[in-house]
Amino acid sequence: MSETVLLQAKDLEIRFGGVIAASGINIEIMEHKNLAIIGPNGAGKTTFLNMCTGYLKPHAGKIFFDGEDVTGIAPRKLVRKGVARAFQIPQLFTEHTVLENMLMAGAAQARNWAPLTRIDRIAQRGEMVHMLEMIKCAHLADRLVSELPEGQRKLIDIALALALKPRLLFMDEPTSGVASSEKFEVLEIISGALQESKVTAVFVEHDMGIVERFADEVAVWNRGQVLFRGAPDDILKHPDVIRDVIGEEL
Amino acid sequence: MNVQLFALAIVDGVSYAALVFLVAVGLTLIFGVLRVLNVAHGSFYAIGAYTTASVGGAIFAAGFSPWLAFPLMIVAAVLVGTLIGGPIEKFLLSRIYHLEDVLQILVTFAVFLILEDFQRLVWGVQPLFEATALNQLGTVTVFGITYTAYQLIFLPVVAVLVLVGLRLGLRRTLTGRLITAVTEDREAAITIGIDAEKVYLITFIVGASLAALGGALASATTSVVPGMGADMIVLSFAVVATAGLGQIEGAAITALMIGLGRSFAVYVWPEMQVLVPYLIMFGVLLVRPQGLFGGIEARKI
Repeated sequence: MSETVLLQAKDLEIRFGGVIAASGINIEIMEHKNLAIIGPNGAGKTTFLNMCTGYLKPHAGKIFFDGEDVTGIAPRKLVRKGVARAFQIPQLFTEHTVLENMLMAGAAQARNWAPLTRIDRIAQRGEMVHMLEMIKCAHLADRLVSELPEGQRKLIDIALALALKPRLLFMDEPTSGVASSEKFEVLEIISGALQESKVTAVFVEHDMGIVERFADEVAVWNRGQVLFRGAPDDILKHPDVIRDVIGEEL
Repeated sequence: MNVQLFALAIVDGVSYAALVFLVAVGLTLIFGVLRVLNVAHGSFYAIGAYTTASVGGAIFAAGFSPWLAFPLMIVAAVLVGTLIGGPIEKFLLSRIYHLEDVLQILVTFAVFLILEDFQRLVWGVQPLFEATALNQLGTVTVFGITYTAYQLIFLPVVAVLVLVGLRLGLRRTLTGRLITAVTEDREAAITIGIDAEKVYLITFIVGASLAALGGALASATTSVVPGMGADMIVLSFAVVATAGLGQIEGAAITALMIGLGRSFAVYVWPEMQVLVPYLIMFGVLLVRPQGLFGGIEARKI
């Protein structure tokens, strides 16, 4: 697979009052290499996601997506360019059914308004049903989101992000709120769906077992900086990482 | 009160309630989605009435079929909602969503005042009367009273169709689901690429068109005069507040209560006619400040 730089962050800086959440972040995200971001709480991991997805504008530095400067542009426009985001707490419409959530995302992505069309008859239906199948949630299509447990909502949230047809998907702790016995299963489904849709994922994760199993690369965050970056096998064995990051998790 | 008077009061009340409902449901829809209390809403009602009466008068005088009165009402309502309501949302309201409620109300009140003068400028202050639609449907006799079919049957049927259409539209169509999604969580809707600004614009045009439709329908039953918009906005505020803001079915039931209360007052205690809707509102809000059907955190549309 070719080595395309999908997203490049250059000298990103941001501070909130006295807290420096990003102090000179430089990182390149390669296409088709899933990147795990690890680091202690308050290291600036979520801040980095917020900057890359348009929710925060860096005070200095630039972000390039596919070679284009996208620094500080709105989330909605970034979605159009191919950058999607799944949240720590799923952002779903709880008074809508699972399929309706998907259909709305599919219609928005295709800029389909179809004012008087029944929602279950829009052109994107087949595609959206297929995406639900990819994340093994087709049987939940007609259930209201408010009836579903957290683990399934997480999956639907990912499907909703995939409905936007991104090239790059940011996930903030995709397995938080999922029972530890189900974590691997949930991520197995997610990574299968990502692979099938050829989407590159960047995910923040605290569970090192999951990082080892699902990441192609790991980046270690601390105090608003990228300390290390490399293959999971090397990084997770690095003494500094064990002391500063993994040690804290134990 | 004999049977005839009783029947008359009911019919009066129901047909009046149908008109009030159309205006009130537009107001409550706009509030439910945009969270703006639109004082200028009554102007759409008045302009809808003026447009229908003046255009109708002109085309019937030119010898066109009187049946054109009905399509004319729909066309007038949609045009008023789109051509006047659309720009108001797009160029004015869209800039003030982040402001305090009080400021929003002041801005829409200013729009109301401007539109009142606009009506005087275009149509003058002479009353217009154009009852072709009313005459076209003839009369029916029930319970010993003779009443126009237009008010007895047509108006309530239109109101019920609007109620059912609105509910099904919001529940089943793509646009309806997008409107409810933006209402539920605007940020999340934007995140998945829904154009919330467009959803707001569509909702406002639909709400304004409903008020204009109310005015268009009313123009056949009453003289179109300056100030009719002000009367209607106050009354539909009473309906919306009594029902609970953002309540569509609630607006229908409350419009019926207030319409009937008002028409019975006309026959029983005429001096109280104007006061009755507000007494009903006052009574309800005293017991349930969130309105008859409103939750504490009102379920939005």
